[in-house]
Amino acid sequence: MTKTAPVTDSVKKVNNEFAVGDDLEFQKSWQKFERGVWILLTIFILLSLAGVFGRGPLAQGHIQASDGSLRVDYERVQRFGTPSVLTIHFPPDVIHQGTVQLWASDTLVKPLGTQRVVPQPMKSVIGGGGILYSFPATTVPASIEFQTQPAALGFSDLIVRVPGKAEVKTRIFVVP
Amino acid sequence: MYTLVHAVIGYFFLLLMVRVLARRPGAQMTPFEFVLVFLVGGVIILATVGDDRSMTNCYGGVIIICMMHHLMGKLKQKSEWWGRMIDGTPILLVKDDEWQTTSVNMTRVDDMDVMAAARAKGIKRLDQIKYAVLERNGAISIIKKDRNSS
Repeated sequence: MTKTAPVTDSVKKVNNEFAVGDDLEFQKSWQKFERGVWILLTIFILLSLAGVFGRGPLAQGHIQASDGSLRVDYERVQRFGTPSVLTIHFPPDVIHQGTVQLWASDTLVKPLGTQRVVPQPMKSVIGGGGILYSFPATTVPASIEFQTQPAALGFSDLIVRVPGKAEVKTRIFVVP
Repeated sequence: MYTLVHAVIGYFFLLLMVRVLARRPGAQMTPFEFVLVFLVGGVIILATVGDDRSMTNCYGGVIIICMMHHLMGKLKQKSEWWGRMIDGTPILLVKDDEWQTTSVNMTRVDDMDVMAAARAKGIKRLDQIKYAVLERNGAISIIKKDRNSS
């Protein structure tokens, strides 16, 4: 059997004749909410331009080992699945016999998602929670570029060092 | 998995964006507003499917968005409050020869929009309109004055 219900005059009327169902008070409250949202959206855009969510001036990080054995240029804030570049610069005194060695914590590979290393390392040895790379270095100053594509959200601690020298420790935040 | 979560977030994000964009008469979109709809949809889809363009992923995204929309429809039916949050309420623009300026300013509707809806009803002048209402679906409803009242 089909269910039925009586039609009632439930919609609010204007001039007691025209059923509209408007609610000006609700619309006024909604307009205040809208203003709040627009303020938040504006703040979001300004922060984005500044690079708080990556890809901007505030996201650029530069850090140097206390003994000057390497310098790292990187993005403090990176975006999930979006390419980023981490560059490591070496001074002449860490290059021996045309080779420079670098130890990097394995966070560079797993959460930060290294896709490519330029130049290609001659040798990579896994161990001690990281990877020891050996690169050819015939010119000074030398630099290595890690092209990454983060595969995990949140903070990742990154440690890099030239073996036997001071390490550089930093934290990278990956946003969605 | 990510796509499904992104689709749900994207659904609510677009819902919020469309709601806070202030109600323009959606049934009378200008060509640019029409293009804007596709632009916004095109941008959000990039974040939704990411680099996984498989059938499984894309169809999963479509299914979850349809399910969300179905659920929202059910919620609107069950809860008047929810209906107001999602669709707003009808807004009276003209009443008894007077523009309801608070409502008009809120909705950014102008006399041209109202007159466009009026012409579709065979009304030639604004002063022949007794009521104009911006409906929840973005259309403008026009009620003509009675002959004896005009």
